[in-house]
Amino acid sequence: MALKHGIYILSLSLSLILVGPTLIWAAPGDSALIKSRQDKLRDLGGAFKAIDDELKKRNPDWDNIILPNAQTVQSRSSYLLTWFPKGSGPESRVKTYALPAIWQKADDFNKLGKTMQSEAAKLSQVAAIRDPASLKAQTIALGKTCKACHDPYRSPDYEKENDE
Amino acid sequence: MHGKLETVWRPLVWDIPTRIMHWLLVAFIGICWWSGVNNELQYHIYSGYGALWVVVLRLYWGLVGSSTARFANFVRGPRAIWTYAITLHRRDTPHSNGHNPLGAVSVVLMLCTVLAVIGIGLFAVDVDSLYSGPLSGYVSFRQGRHLAHLHYTVFELLLGVIALHISAVIFYYAYKRHNLLSPMISGRPKGEIAHIPTLEAAPGWRLLPGALLAAGVVWVIDNLFYYW
Repeated sequence: MALKHGIYILSLSLSLILVGPTLIWAAPGDSALIKSRQDKLRDLGGAFKAIDDELKKRNPDWDNIILPNAQTVQSRSSYLLTWFPKGSGPESRVKTYALPAIWQKADDFNKLGKTMQSEAAKLSQVAAIRDPASLKAQTIALGKTCKACHDPYRSPDYEKENDE
Repeated sequence: MHGKLETVWRPLVWDIPTRIMHWLLVAFIGICWWSGVNNELQYHIYSGYGALWVVVLRLYWGLVGSSTARFANFVRGPRAIWTYAITLHRRDTPHSNGHNPLGAVSVVLMLCTVLAVIGIGLFAVDVDSLYSGPLSGYVSFRQGRHLAHLHYTVFELLLGVIALHISAVIFYYAYKRHNLLSPMISGRPKGEIAHIPTLEAAPGWRLLPGALLAAGVVWVIDNLFYYW
């Protein structure tokens, strides 16, 4: 009797240990992943904006603003393509701007991501020269790679209530 | 101006500047709408500046323009609005030369909403960092993104005001048999109507300082804020 009871408890515990995490992982895991992706993209956008804003000033601060932010843009962008694992789209039921096309046209998406990475690397190189006109031109080149990917693979602003 | 028949009296209701400003605003809002939802923001910024230019000029013309364009001649208090509103169901109400008290509410609401949409747009941040508003440097990325959404939400409110305005024009045409569209195109009401005074036209040259002032406002917003 005691043995039967023991086996019962053992199998129950075992199934809880094995199945439990899978149940917990399904939703909150994706949610954390998507939230973290949004945070990283926002940091990327913020660093990019800081450079853009600084370039509007008569005497841009290269050492404290432009160079470190260009470094942030470059380092963040190198991880960009790892932020979109399968299952982290709208099917996760987490609010996201990411469209299913990202995974349906993965080759094109990855190609655009790599173009963005190379333009971001170039941004760092151009920033080091400290010429406002050249850097402005490079921010436009980089911004176009953001748009090239956002237009087909990101929901337009007006379809969502807010950025999260 | 009297026609061949004594009974035909078609007074001028809207002067040319008011009509041109009205249709320019329609065009600019149309371009803003299209370019906004299609993420063609390079056109969006220019059409937004165009709308701002028109609104500033219209505000100026509301102070020194022809009689029917002046705010002092058509903006009424709550009592006058109410007195007019309760006669809305009647078909025999006379034409007024220019905005009626309820139409005046719509004009003020329209101008305020357009200004609100533009004002928020000046600080909005583009997700691609290509075409952020000219004053977006004063807010953080996150704040600017929230403002981009608010920009659209208030625009939806503006679409509501526009819908109300068009509904009123249709209501006047279908129910009261007053064609409000025709005077906004030709300047004069269609058909034979009762005697109402024609507008007192402001001289055309007076438009020029307003046009320059409005252009100055746009220029300052686009350029000057970053040069100190």
